[in-house]
Formats: sequence, structure tokens, C-alpha cells
Amino acid sequence: MNVDQLYETLSQIPKTDLAMWQDVFLKFYRAWFAEDRWLNYFEGLVTTIEVTIIALIIGVVLGVLVAMIRTAHDQQRPGTHNFVLGFLNGISQVYVTIIRGTPMMVQLMIWGFVIFATSRNFTLVGALGLGVNSGAYVAEIIRGGLMSLDPGQMEAGRSLGLNYIQTMRFIVIPQAFKAILPSLGNEFIVLLKDTSLISVIAGKEIVYAARAIGARTYEYMFPFVITAIMYLIMVLIFSWLQGKLERRLRRSDRR
Amino acid sequence: MIDVKNLTKSFGSHVVLNNISQHIYPGEKVVVIGPSGSGKSTFLRCLNLLEEPTSGTITFDGVDITDPKVDINAVRRQMGMVFQHFNLFPNMNICDNITLAPVQTGLMKKDEAVEIAHALLKRVGLDDKADAYPAQLSGGQKQRIAIVRALAMKPKLMLFDEPTSALDPEMVGEVLNVMKQLADEGMTMVVVTHEMGFAREVGSRILFIDGGQVQEENSPEEFFSHPKNPRLQDFLSKVL
Amino acid sequence: MKKLFALLLSVIMVLALAGCGGGDTNGGGTEAELPLVESGKLIMSTNAQFPPYEMVADGEGAYNGFEGIDVEIAANLAERLGLELVIDDMDFDSALVAVQQGKSDMVLAGLTYREDRDQVMDFSTSYAQGVQVVIVPDGSDITDMDALANDKMIGVQRGTTGEIYASDTPENGGYGEDHVRAYDNGALAVQAMLNGQIDAVIIDNGPAQAYVDANPGLHILDGEWVVEDYCLAVNEGNTALLEALNTELEAMIADGTVQTIIDKYITAE
Repeated sequence: MNVDQLYETLSQIPKTDLAMWQDVFLKFYRAWFAEDRWLNYFEGLVTTIEVTIIALIIGVVLGVLVAMIRTAHDQQRPGTHNFVLGFLNGISQVYVTIIRGTPMMVQLMIWGFVIFATSRNFTLVGALGLGVNSGAYVAEIIRGGLMSLDPGQMEAGRSLGLNYIQTMRFIVIPQAFKAILPSLGNEFIVLLKDTSLISVIAGKEIVYAARAIGARTYEYMFPFVITAIMYLIMVLIFSWLQGKLERRLRRSDRR
Repeated sequence: MIDVKNLTKSFGSHVVLNNISQHIYPGEKVVVIGPSGSGKSTFLRCLNLLEEPTSGTITFDGVDITDPKVDINAVRRQMGMVFQHFNLFPNMNICDNITLAPVQTGLMKKDEAVEIAHALLKRVGLDDKADAYPAQLSGGQKQRIAIVRALAMKPKLMLFDEPTSALDPEMVGEVLNVMKQLADEGMTMVVVTHEMGFAREVGSRILFIDGGQVQEENSPEEFFSHPKNPRLQDFLSKVL
Repeated sequence: MKKLFALLLSVIMVLALAGCGGGDTNGGGTEAELPLVESGKLIMSTNAQFPPYEMVADGEGAYNGFEGIDVEIAANLAERLGLELVIDDMDFDSALVAVQQGKSDMVLAGLTYREDRDQVMDFSTSYAQGVQVVIVPDGSDITDMDALANDKMIGVQRGTTGEIYASDTPENGGYGEDHVRAYDNGALAVQAMLNGQIDAVIIDNGPAQAYVDANPGLHILDGEWVVEDYCLAVNEGNTALLEALNTELEAMIADGTVQTIIDKYITAE
């Protein structure tokens, strides 16, 4: 007996006479198999992954940029003051303050309904909003990593005649990256789950799919559980990859 | 080689170096001693501008390096520096630690740099560690590598900032031996240290810095046998 | 929540006034007489979680993945105006913001006419009547509408007129904000009632019937809690578009098209 036949059989039984497992099966069937609804989850999943990746790239690029500007500004030779750097640092500070000081959902609504009021590419606008948001947090994570590194490393690099950028690139950033990887991974997971917010500006990701199915079947529990499992699987895969990367970067720590 | 004029360095209202003028000649081995907090490390770090002087000038090979227009990176390439805490790059193996700067600054090609690294490692007896990472080495080994790293840039001058202070006692000797060898080869050196034996044996001139000023300078024999400054007498009585 | 939303709305308005907002791009060309967001397209913002008025279709669906009374009415309107229907599905609150921000041409979302909403949007002729009813668990001591006022906790759907009326002060016929709990959608409110967190749910008649069928142990109280007019709305001041839509809508009501659509989704008892 396949699932469709089982569903047919069970749905004939009056609700009050259903055994626990039969009731669960019926609800799950309606949330997943019926009308090929499982396809809707995967469509949503594709959008979720797409938005996460675009937002991640925007976030990391912005984050690195802002962190570099702010760190470079703070690490200027005392007495010297680069005007351009000071200006960029000011912008960076305003950016980080505004993004961290306002709710994600409000930011998304402003992106969707004010800045890109006429754009019809909801997924991309959502990804942009999330990416710009993530950038502020990534910037602070990276800045924390750069600041926490022993200043002796920077001094050693500079004393050998390497310039600031070379020292950053070869010495400070690789070490800081290793140190901030767990926080970055965490930020990535937060970002992945924040993608569910883009439905406020008509993005159609996985939670949207679950809610739409729930609205049709008047039963939300199973669509949401299915969504939760999908998120969990994504996070598990990501954590596994992150663990692999961390082990590779730790090569130099062995004694 | 280095001419220091009226060097003053203060952090906020706290004056660390007070109007120091010194001249370091080629081939000299200047040893700087003094109690902790006296400003001797700051003095050394001012020489390659790791600390920005508050006022005064430092002239290296005829170039005023305190001038903001001077390419400080080019100046630093000619001055090796060895730190108390080694500051090896833990993310790279020993060979990369040594070759990074010569290659990246365009001083030499990668294979030439590797060749020089191996030659220098052989001299300090650590050729077998080329592929190791800093975390796998002892303190003494790390400091010898740090010296090699500085030497790979073919500097005209070496600055040592308490190179043996962070070492276990049994490892001090191996580092001092490398430094003596270097001194014997005629390298110009400025060494901040607490190793009085080394100062006496290797130094060509000893500076005693206290309270941000050079209180006394002399040849090692005079310096240790006939100290004139009462604070130096007091200091020596404690450390010897 | 309402206040937060109002605040948010005003922030967005201020930003829009400050010059960031795009908005009414006149189509130009042949449809120049209709001020549309994009020429040739009739963009409808909605919250497709309100069966039978609008929902995400299983599979492909008739109208770009959506179906329902509002969806079919909109499709008919678009066809009559020679436009292509585009449906943007978002939160109910967002759907209202979208039309006010010039991101969509109209909102059809089982939207009830209300005076305060009329201040910021322009409403069409009513095309359907929404009846809100009350669901209670079997054996509840709430046996008629009046019993709702006795310190009960009442669940409503966020942003709907049900929430607005119910959370009003008792003098104005509501139950007070402390006795009303808003949920993102009707199903969550029903779930909360099944869990015993609230005592009754105020919800539209259509979904109410479905919830009662799906969950044994619930029933609908006799009588209608409120009867309201469902309208579509366009941005405040977009009179040209509203008139065009109204003309077609009234024609559709007159020739029975609207009733046919409603009957298709709401089968008489």
C-alpha cells in the first residue's frame, strides 16, 4: 500500500475515530504529498539559499570594507590624520550604528517600500536588505578579530618593512580570520534564518511556502515542522563544513 | 649611522623620554640598560618609528626619518628588529616566516629567499625546522628564528628589545651565542637587555637610561667597574 | 502592534517625502490615461493567506500561482482594462503599505472599508460582504455574543478589522486591548484556542467554517459578529485609476460575474 492509498483509506474514517498516528499521517500527507505541495517547500528553499548566498557575499564584502576602514583609521600613525579615511570612518560609524540600532524588519520595509519602491525584484531587494544588515555585524566581528590580535604581530610585520596593507593581508587577516570563524559562522546561521523576514516585502522563501500551505489546509503545525527540519539540515551541513575549515586552519597550532 | 637629536616621547602628560641625543656609529654594539619603566624600550622602538617621537629628530644614513614624507617602510627594511616575545607569525611555517618580507618587499625572488633562509637557519642550527610551525618550537628556538627573520632582510643595523627576557634560563645562552656571533661579524647593534654578562662581553658602549634620560654612558670596563651616577651604582648593586 | 505599525508607516512616509521614494511613473504610450506603477500591468498587492478570498494555489494555479475570489475578480478587472495582472504576495500590513508607497496599483485582500483607512487610501465600490463570526470550543460558557465581554481572552488576526473593533474600549463596543490577542493568521489563533490560551476567536465566516470542520470540538456561535463591506483600494488621490476600476467592477457586479466567482469559492450550505 503506498502513501496515496493509505491517505485515501484513512481520510474515510471520521476524525474522532482516528488513532494518533493516523491523524499525524493525514496532517503530514496534506502538508507534504497532497497536490505536490512538497515542491512549494523546495521552491522556497531555493529562494532561501539564493538570498542567503547573495546577502552573505554583500555582507562579507561590506563587512571587510568597513572593518578595514575603521581599523585603519584607528591604527593611523599618531599625529597624522588622513582626511579621506576620517570621512570614510565617519560614514562607516553611521552605517553600523543605524543598522545595529534598528529592527531588521523595519529596514527591510524601508528597502522594499521606500528605496526600491518601484523594484519588482523582491528576492534581490530582500537579499540586499539582509546583506547590508549583515555587513554591519560582520564588520564588528572582523574589527573585533583584528583588534584582538597581539599588536606585536603588526609591529613585527611593519618592522620588517612590510607596509600596512601587506601586513594586514599576510599576517593580521589570516590570523584574525581563524579567530573570528566561529562568530562568522554564527552570523551566517542568523542570516540564513533571517531570510524568513523577506516575506514582508513579498519575498517567497521557505517560511512563506509553509504559511501558504498552512493557510490552505488550516493546519500550520506540520508545514512549520517541515520548515524547521529543512533549516536544521541546512545548518547541520554548514556547521560540518565550518568544522572542516576550522580544522584545516588549525594545522599551524599543532605541537 | 643613526643620529638622535633632542628625542622626547610622552604618552599624554607622562614623559617617557626626555630630550635624548645620541649618535650610533657603524659597527658599534650599543647596549642599553636601565630599570623597568625607565624608557629604554621606548628609546629603541623610536629608532625605527614603532613609536612616534613627540619631538626631536632621528637621522638614519642622512635621512630624517621623523619627516612624515619619508617612506618609513624603506627605512625599516634596513633595520632588523627582534622582540621580547619573538612575534613570529603563527599562521606560517618557519621558512615562510623568514621569506615573507624579502619576497613581498621585492628585495629578492622566492627561490633566492628560500636559499638564504636555509643558509641562515643552518648558521643558527635550526635548518631542520624550516617546515615546522612556530607553535612547535621552544622559546629559544623561536628567538633564534626571529633573529634569522630580521637578518634575511640584510639589514644594516639590528635592534634587540630584551631578546632574552621571555626565555627560560636554560635557553638564554643559545640566543646570546647567536647575538655574539653576529656582533663578531661586525653588525651594528643596539641591544636593550638585562644580561649584564652579555653587555660587558659584547658591548662597545653601554647606556644607562633612567627617568627618560641617559644618566651615564661609557665603555663596558669603566661602566661596570667605576659607575659614577648614584642611580647606576644603586641599579648595579641590585642586578650584579 | 497597531501603534508600532502606525509609527512605522509614518517613518516610511517621512522618508518617502524626503525624496527617496520613486512611485508613480506614468506609463506613457497608449495607457497614458491610467496612472499605473508599470505601464501595461495592473499590480495587486495582497496577503494570500486568506482563503477563500486569496491563497497560494497548489501546483501552477490559474493566476501565477494564486487563486481565490479576490484573485479572480482582479484577473477579470485586468482583462477588461486590457492590462496584465501581477500579484505581489506579502504580509497584510505590507500589502497596505505597498499601495500607499506606489509599489502596487491596488490592494485586494479581503479589505474592509473603514473611515481611517479611507484617509490614506481610496476605496472602490464594495464587491462582497464579509461576515465575521465567533468560534468557541464546545462546552464553552460563551453561549452568545454578549458573553464575550465577560473578561474573556479573544483571539483575532493581526491588522484586520476584527482586531480593530475588538480591541476598542467597551464604551465603543469593543472588549479593551487587554482582552484581545492578535495572531499572524487565523489558524494560529484557532490553535491557541485549542491549547486553552484564549477563549474565543473572531474570524471571517469562510475560514471559520473550515476551521470548525478541521478541528472537532469547535463550533461557531449563532449570529454574525459584524458584517462588513469588502472593497479594493488604490493610493490616496489616484482617482483616475479608481474610476476606471470602479466602472469595470460595477459592470461585473451588474452582469453577475462577481456573484459567479463568489459562488464558485463559497458553496452555499
